[in-house]
Amino acid sequence: MLLRASGDREEKIFNLNSITNSALLSGVEQGELLRDLTDATVLSQWEDLQEIRKRASKILGHQTLVDILTVASGFNGITRVADSTGIPLDKTTAETTFDLRKTTGIENFDYSNKSNRYDIEKDSLTV
Amino acid sequence: MVIMYEETEYPLREELITAHAAQWERIGQPGAFWTAEDRVAFVQEARSSQSCDFCILRKKAMSPYAVTGKHTSFTNLPSVLIDTIHRIRTDPQRITRRMFDEVLASNYSREQYIELVSVVTSATIIDTLHQALGISLPETPEINSGNPLGQKKPHLVDEGAWVPLADTKFTLTDTGMPSAPNITRAMGCVPSAVELFFGTFRHHYALKNIPMNISQSQAEYVASRVSSINECFY
Repeated sequence: MLLRASGDREEKIFNLNSITNSALLSGVEQGELLRDLTDATVLSQWEDLQEIRKRASKILGHQTLVDILTVASGFNGITRVADSTGIPLDKTTAETTFDLRKTTGIENFDYSNKSNRYDIEKDSLTV
Repeated sequence: MVIMYEETEYPLREELITAHAAQWERIGQPGAFWTAEDRVAFVQEARSSQSCDFCILRKKAMSPYAVTGKHTSFTNLPSVLIDTIHRIRTDPQRITRRMFDEVLASNYSREQYIELVSVVTSATIIDTLHQALGISLPETPEINSGNPLGQKKPHLVDEGAWVPLADTKFTLTDTGMPSAPNITRAMGCVPSAVELFFGTFRHHYALKNIPMNISQSQAEYVASRVSSINECFY
C-alpha cells in the first residue's frame, strides 16, 4: 500500500484503517477534507460536492482543490480497469501487504472472494 | 482539436486538458477491434447508466444477479454489452469474472472486451473530472468512420487475471513497485487500449514526486479512498 510507503518517506505514521473506516482519522494533512472531496466525487454526490468545493477552496486554494479532484477522478477510472480484469497484486506487493490487507479489510476485495459474495442468484436469496 | 474545460473557473493544468482532448478525439476513431460508432456508443451507454432505473434498483440488491430488468439505453448495442458498460460505470465494486465470461459466451473476444473497458474507463475519468468541477459534460466524440484497424499479435503471459497480461521483464523501481505493475499490463492484449487509457490517466497521478500542489501522501490517501469505495483489490 503506497500510503504506508509515502508515510515512511515523510517519517509519518498514518492510520491505514481510515481507508476503509470513515469514522477514523488518517493523520494525513487535511485528511478529512480530502476524504469529503474524494467520497463525494466517487459516489457522484454532485450537490454535496458543490458545497465541499467552496469550503475546500477557502482552506486549500483553487489549485490544490483541482489537484485533489484530478487524482480522485483518475482513480475513479483506473480502479475500474482492475475491477474489470481481475488482475492479481504484484508479487512484491502481495508479499509485503499480507497483514495489512487482513487488518484493513481490503482482503475482502480479492476478486475470487467477490464471486462468492456477488454471483448470488435471486432464487438463492429467497430460500 | 476538441476544446475541453473552457467553462471552468478552476486552474486545470494545461497538459491534462491537452491530453484529455486528444484521447477524446481518439475515442471517435476506429479502434483495433471496434468501429468509431461502437466506441462512441460505449461512451453514450456509460452516460445512460447514470440515470438508469435498473442500475439504481440493482445497486440496492444484495447481488447484481438478484434482480432482473431492462437498462435505460439510447443505443443499439447488444444487451450483453449494455449490461457490461452499465456495471463498469455504476457498480464496479461487484464485478466478478462471471460478467467477463458472459461477454465471451456471447461471441465477443477478450480483445473486444478489453477495448470496451479502455473506452469506458477513459470516458469515466474525463466525465468524472467534469462533474467534479461542476461543469457540463463534453459532447460525445466526433465519429471518424472506418473499419476496425486490427493489430499485431502482442506478447502475453497468463498470470492469473481474467485476461493474459503483457509479457514484461520484472524489475523493481526505487518506489518498491515493479517498473511495469500489473495495472499497466492488464490491457496488454490490446496495446492501443493501453495507450488510450494511460494517455488519459497519465496526468492524474505519479508514483513519486507528484507534480501537483498536494503531497505524495495526500495523493495516496485520495487514491486509497477511491480504491476502497470501488472495492479495488489491486
